[in-house]
Amino acid sequence: MSNGISKKYSGIALVAAFAMGMAISGEAAAKDKVKVGFIGPLTGGVSVNGIGGRNSADLAVRLRNKDPKAKYEYELVVQDDECKPNIGVQAATKVAADRKVIGAVTHYCSAVAIAAVDTYHKFGLPVVVWGAVLPDITYGNTYKEVHRVNGTMINQNQTAAKFMRSLGYETWAVIHDTTDYGKGHNKYYSENLAKEGGKILATFGVTSDQQDFTAELTKIKELNPDVIYFGGLTPIGVRVRSQMEKLGIKAVFQGTSGIVSDAFVEGTGKLAEGVVAFREGAPTENLPGGQFFLEKYQAEKYDSPPEAYGAFSFAAMNLVLDAIEQVGPNRKKVRDVLNKTSGRDSIVGEISFDDHGQNTVALITKYVIQDGKWTVWEDSDYAAGKRKLVGQK
Amino acid sequence: MQDELKPTGKPLWQALIGAVLTTVYLILLLKVEEQSEVIGLLAGGAVLLLLLTKTGHLGGIGNTLHSREGALNLLVILGTLAIVGFFYEDHFTLLLIATVMLYVLATLGLNLQFGFAGVLNFAGASFFGIGAYTAAVLGAHTAVPSLLIILVGGVMAALIGCVLLLPVLRTRGHYAAVVTIAFALLFKTFLEVNDILGGPQGLQVPSMKVFGWDFNNNVALGDSVELSFYFSYIIVILLVLIAAFVLVRRVERSWIGLNLDALRLDETAASCFGLNIVRWKVTAFLLGNFLIGIAGALYGMVGGFVAPTSFTFADSLILVSIILLGGIGNVWGLIVAAAIVVIVPEKLQAIQEYRFLLFGGLVMMMLLFRPEGLLPRSVRRYFPGGAER
Amino acid sequence: MDIGFLAQYLMNGLMLGMMYALVAVGFTLFFGVLDVIKFSHGDVLTVGAFTALATYLGLEQIGVTDPATQILVMVIVSTVLIGGLGAVIARTVILPLRSAPPLNTLLITLMLGTVLREAVRLFYPEGGNPKPFPALLPTDSVTFGNFNLRLDNVLMFGAGVLVIVGTQWMLNRTKLGLAIRAVAQDEETAKTMGINFNLIVFITFALGSALAAFAGVMNGLYYNEINFGMGLLLGVIGFSAAIVGGMGNLYGAILGGFLFAALQTIGAVALPFASAYKDVFAFAVVIAIMAWRPTGLIQEKVSDRV
Repeated sequence: MSNGISKKYSGIALVAAFAMGMAISGEAAAKDKVKVGFIGPLTGGVSVNGIGGRNSADLAVRLRNKDPKAKYEYELVVQDDECKPNIGVQAATKVAADRKVIGAVTHYCSAVAIAAVDTYHKFGLPVVVWGAVLPDITYGNTYKEVHRVNGTMINQNQTAAKFMRSLGYETWAVIHDTTDYGKGHNKYYSENLAKEGGKILATFGVTSDQQDFTAELTKIKELNPDVIYFGGLTPIGVRVRSQMEKLGIKAVFQGTSGIVSDAFVEGTGKLAEGVVAFREGAPTENLPGGQFFLEKYQAEKYDSPPEAYGAFSFAAMNLVLDAIEQVGPNRKKVRDVLNKTSGRDSIVGEISFDDHGQNTVALITKYVIQDGKWTVWEDSDYAAGKRKLVGQK
Repeated sequence: MQDELKPTGKPLWQALIGAVLTTVYLILLLKVEEQSEVIGLLAGGAVLLLLLTKTGHLGGIGNTLHSREGALNLLVILGTLAIVGFFYEDHFTLLLIATVMLYVLATLGLNLQFGFAGVLNFAGASFFGIGAYTAAVLGAHTAVPSLLIILVGGVMAALIGCVLLLPVLRTRGHYAAVVTIAFALLFKTFLEVNDILGGPQGLQVPSMKVFGWDFNNNVALGDSVELSFYFSYIIVILLVLIAAFVLVRRVERSWIGLNLDALRLDETAASCFGLNIVRWKVTAFLLGNFLIGIAGALYGMVGGFVAPTSFTFADSLILVSIILLGGIGNVWGLIVAAAIVVIVPEKLQAIQEYRFLLFGGLVMMMLLFRPEGLLPRSVRRYFPGGAER
Repeated sequence: MDIGFLAQYLMNGLMLGMMYALVAVGFTLFFGVLDVIKFSHGDVLTVGAFTALATYLGLEQIGVTDPATQILVMVIVSTVLIGGLGAVIARTVILPLRSAPPLNTLLITLMLGTVLREAVRLFYPEGGNPKPFPALLPTDSVTFGNFNLRLDNVLMFGAGVLVIVGTQWMLNRTKLGLAIRAVAQDEETAKTMGINFNLIVFITFALGSALAAFAGVMNGLYYNEINFGMGLLLGVIGFSAAIVGGMGNLYGAILGGFLFAALQTIGAVALPFASAYKDVFAFAVVIAIMAWRPTGLIQEKVSDRV
């Protein structure tokens, strides 16, 4: 009975999709339908990144469906994880429990990803993480199902500590959100900074819905550090940067990959100038396939930008689609193909998974905001000596 | 109105058809995925409901059932089993159903406090959370048997609730509301900044194990049929739910329920007639929290994961909305309302970022057109099965 | 601790308290006339702030760049529109539910809040992102040691005081205020005295919402950043503040607002545990106060009618 009904419905869906396919591409051959998943934050404070990621994954699927050589017709199943671990586990269960979903591209928020990996393992769904940077997502387990195209926060913080010390800064104050993301950044940055001989004067954990930071910042003002290190995502980042100005704090604002977004620049306006942050991988437009990606993205007329991690989502989805093309819609086989990924060309550069499914992204890009744009440090006026960060030596 | 007051001798088959229709409708709603079909079903359901209300059929069926409570309960249980049986291997749908049932269980507790005794509790999700975290901590660090953990979850919720007893007893109305609101906010922030309980990241909850049998394994029946592991959880939840339901109904119909009603309707008058206000308020508050805590412990085990974001003030308000939507004080209304509140936003996933907007609008419409809730509690009958006197 | 930093904390706390107080005053007004909790209040504030921002962007477009004019127009447009919104809310959502259980009003306004918040996020251009709010007030500052007294903060605080004093004067000294107080005291009697009940309800809700809009603009000017979720916590804290202070009069709301800000600041600065616990501390004290003074710090002078 169950099968009867679901067949009927999928029949209708197939006909509809088929008709649409005809209309769009004029292609007549009926292909088998395969589902792939996307999970990211589509509502809530970081929804901009989630929607950018979703659009990018959607772009990969659309392009593939237009490709006459593709063996299957793909359908993207999208779920909202709200950047909340519990909702993320639900979304993961939903996607993973649907046997027709063969692979998925999942999670921007580390806190969600780390909660959901068990679910993927339980259901045997191969996934590729597209934005979460907490090391434990891949290194905290031995799940064959979990892969990640973007780098972890360890590399990011190594480079960050070295670089900031090289600019001559001595003292830091740390503000981090109390999720695993913020705590992780705090941990790895503190470790690396200690190695480099920098000094942390004070550390403040803040909750992700906090609006007023004047109390923490006044305390920081008292300590007068050279740099404020912020481990968290865009919404709080904007608030902290704005309120620093209120209190007349002149320190440099140093962020993590979580604030590398157009939304941060827009939110802080003029105050964005001279903010530094670090992210794994090269900027989208400098990537080997970056221009191609951005052009295609424009062509589909999505109403919001891909944001910093869109390219990763696009690349991750392509990995999944390639694997399905190669071995057919079978979760185990797709998983094995993904595990063996090595030296694959993609728009984010070469992708190779180690035995934990982690892409070894050696490159960390240093960013500084110059004239309202995230600019690669080396290309900026700051590196050229035309402008100077506060206290830069 | 006329219809509802008439003592009904209408045959049971009408109610039976209603129950079958509801079950089929729910199965369809849970089954469909396409956005247009979901919206079509929701709209169709709303129109049908409106029509039936206008023609008085709904009231008629309600009355028939009300006079034959046993039949009603049996129908609800059979309907639930039919739905669960239909989706026997569909993990996610079963998880959804389990969530609905746990919300019903929790709101039963809330209903004791608020629907019967009139004690406001805007921290329902916090007590739910206490149960869930108890399950996480005890399950991971001790060898306490799973079934006992569920009970301990309830006891913990009741115990921690004792902290609020003094302010809850002393305050009334909006003032009482703020006590529990403050507690709800405090509790969530506390979980978030507290490292021992996993901080904002939350904790893993070990699965339920009864007599050495791990609930997280699928159940194979013969060679071809494999029941989802949620199936076993649902059976346990159903049993607990039935027990709690019977308890709450017993309380409602007993002299305790009478006392609670008197307390809610007019505290001053009740105390003039010699009712011990403090005793009954405390009883309702603690017993309610106990039930909520049990639901929370089960929720932790089913979901396998607890995090502070599941137990925010907004979640407490969702619990309160279930009570209001269902019709304050009506225990059957809770089932309908919980199903709506849990299933509808989930089914609206198709419209992704617009779903909260639509859900909010839907509930507002519902309240404007049916302000007394879907199934308002009827006036107490002093002679069960007979007409009102 | 250095006296300069102490003054800085005091200033932070005062500004925060002013915003809470403005929100709390709105709640007190609603309690007064209708005895309802309007949970969408915080989100109305958000809409007010975004309205002001849109007005500012519009003014920039048509070439009005004088900051004083800009602020004036922003405040007027925002308070008038949001006041209108408040009246509409009262008409369409709150009055129709008068005969239903009082908590239904809570639920419906809660949902209204969700709708407003989501609408800002989805329909304001890129509303999901935090938005920069222009700093239009003069930022001259006087420095006393480590204390940075900024002119814009002083102006905002002064404006807040004026608004609250104005509201209080209106309630106590004008005919309109008399009517509002009459309705608050006894609806039936007020009606028999020829007071247009519905009109008074609309006016009160318009007034309360306009205050929220004002608080929204102030919030934007102070933090220079607004986002669609800003009203959420502000609403709940404003509500708590109104209750803790006591619902009987505006002073309760004001007292509650500043008390809450003080608790948060003390919790973050002066207590030996991590600053993240400041809200836990503040809410724990609120619960304790309710146990000590069950009808708020400034107690209502009404006895139970039996």
